[in-house]
Amino acid sequence: MENNGGSVVAMIGKDCVAIASDLRLGNQAVGIASNFDKVFPVNDKLYYGLPGLATDVYTLKEHLRFRVNMYRMKEEREITPKTFTHLVSSTLYEKRFGPFFIEPVVAGLPTPTELDPHPKPFISTMDTIGCVTTPKDFAVAGTAADKLYGVAEGLWEPDLEPEDLFETVSQTLLNAVDRDALSGWGAVVHIITHDKVITRTLRARMD
Amino acid sequence: MECAFGITGKDYVLLCSDMAAGRSIIRMKSDENKIKALGPHLAMAYGGEPGDTNNFAEYVERNMRLYHIRNHYPLLPASASAWIRRTLAESIRSRNPYAVNLLLAGYDTTTSKPHLYWIDYLGTKAVVPYAAHGMGVYVSLSTMDKWWFNDMNKREGVEVLKKCIDEVQKRITVHFNFNCILIDKDGIHNINIDSQDPLAELESESKAASGDIVVDAPNSPLDVGVTA
Amino acid sequence: MSGPGSGGAYSFSLTTFSPSGKLVQIEHALAAVSGGTTSLGIKATNGIVLATEKKSPSLLIDPSALEKVAPICPNIGFVYSGMGPDFRILVAKARKIAQAYWKVYGEYPPTKVLVQEVAGVMQKATQSGGVRPYGISLLIAGWDSHRNQSLWQIDPSGSYWAWKASAIGKNMVNAKTFLEKRYNDELSLEDAIHTALLTLKEGFEGQMTEQTIEIGVITVPTPEQMEEKSGERLPPTFRKLSENEVRDYLSL
Repeated sequence: MENNGGSVVAMIGKDCVAIASDLRLGNQAVGIASNFDKVFPVNDKLYYGLPGLATDVYTLKEHLRFRVNMYRMKEEREITPKTFTHLVSSTLYEKRFGPFFIEPVVAGLPTPTELDPHPKPFISTMDTIGCVTTPKDFAVAGTAADKLYGVAEGLWEPDLEPEDLFETVSQTLLNAVDRDALSGWGAVVHIITHDKVITRTLRARMD
Repeated sequence: MECAFGITGKDYVLLCSDMAAGRSIIRMKSDENKIKALGPHLAMAYGGEPGDTNNFAEYVERNMRLYHIRNHYPLLPASASAWIRRTLAESIRSRNPYAVNLLLAGYDTTTSKPHLYWIDYLGTKAVVPYAAHGMGVYVSLSTMDKWWFNDMNKREGVEVLKKCIDEVQKRITVHFNFNCILIDKDGIHNINIDSQDPLAELESESKAASGDIVVDAPNSPLDVGVTA
Repeated sequence: MSGPGSGGAYSFSLTTFSPSGKLVQIEHALAAVSGGTTSLGIKATNGIVLATEKKSPSLLIDPSALEKVAPICPNIGFVYSGMGPDFRILVAKARKIAQAYWKVYGEYPPTKVLVQEVAGVMQKATQSGGVRPYGISLLIAGWDSHRNQSLWQIDPSGSYWAWKASAIGKNMVNAKTFLEKRYNDELSLEDAIHTALLTLKEGFEGQMTEQTIEIGVITVPTPEQMEEKSGERLPPTFRKLSENEVRDYLSL
């Protein structure tokens, strides 16, 4: 975690979810790159963030892309946020005694079905060996997790509309990473709504 | 005890590495080439655990060559970086991992773009405009932060590189000799960074016979199998 | 050492092409299926029924220990025609596949996914060394949120397809003709159960009783039933009818 730095935060809004991360990649205290994305799409309703050891970010991202593509072909459908969370969790637990140093965050909108016409927005987090928590408000992970908790606890409120959620998640992330030496160097925010995903790169302190 | 830089410009990428080889405080060699050509437009500067370094560099070199022979075209920088990263990522969780850090520089002939990758022994990969490995990190990164800008021409790039080397020689107690290459559309060129005008030779050359590759690919491509 | 593909004493496949391009072993397996007791399945608007005839070879056998309709996971059930021992092996494998899927995805497999996996197991037996094909055909009924209720058949060759209604085993030709006449797209589950019993009655040897008939049903759940409550499991969508329930249907 402390080797490369980086943080991710996800929040639930009204019929929308947000997931955001910083863009720093470091080697201990030395900053190496300010374009290191930690949040990846599964489809246009489901994103996930992988803060932690950068080598595992790549490896896990590639592995999950493989698993999701196989799922898509075998099942002829898109994976739901809940099922994807289970998939990530079991992938992590497979390496129980030599784990990936990653604490994933999942955020998505389940597609309405006949049986569940109004599904709730979904977020979840895991520890490095895949123990799942599904919060009803927000999820944080990475080197600035403790700071993110504090700011999110103060700023988040229920049923935020997409634009308000964008503001809340952006301010939460920016203010938390400013207090963390290993996170920052730019940030990217994704707001997932039923008809579109809004992705914005934030201007942040570059020191 | 090593030091390597990479700088991208508008249509080229510079790679520079020290030439010291030794153990702890003893230098046994000051003319060791620690940059390896991996293809017509691809090269890497490598460092780390002695023994691992050369072995790994040769392993990469032979695999890049194998790809070239099998497919009749070389692996592009982006794909090569993914292959090298994966190899190191698998190695780090194996019983005897490679301890090799490297800067991978290449020129993508399909998009005419320079590429530079910072890769460490864990399999961490960063796509960067300029980068450094080893002791030089602490003085040269800030130098590059100050002087590097987008779409530099070759002369401007070499100037930044010289500033980095000057900084290393001023601030770091160990003395280094540097070895430098430039990759552009014509391939890999050796550059004498200590000369008054490092680009003069390159420029006169390209005027004489444009498209001549100075540093050749490991072996010139063989015609093997069926050509399309 | 022995077992499919391990290069034991018989590392070659027993199923080989005849000069005319047929796999005779598979045809023999289908013959074994045709000799087996009749089983059938009917898809209804709100469920599926699987029914089979259960024949004891002797009066002295305890029929309650015979099981021909098998639940695989809460949303999928199997019935077969052909060789009983082969069926039990496949049921064990299918249950394991379903649990392995649950371990990865936290839910039971959609019907088609399980069907594909089991068909894969059966196909492997036609190509591996030292083994013979499975001597059974399966009818598989399942419900999932993606495809709703669906009824599938897998043959010894490993080929599989979906049915609205079908029959396998001894009387399959007659039973299918009967079903073709009786089937319509508006059938309710209750109607389907009665149609299933009527179809079995055609060509049934002996008395149809709750001891000689086995029935399994898929019921399509309501949104309320599928609502997740913490600490509670979702109700199963596949279940076997008890002897009492079967008796009630027979008496109607």
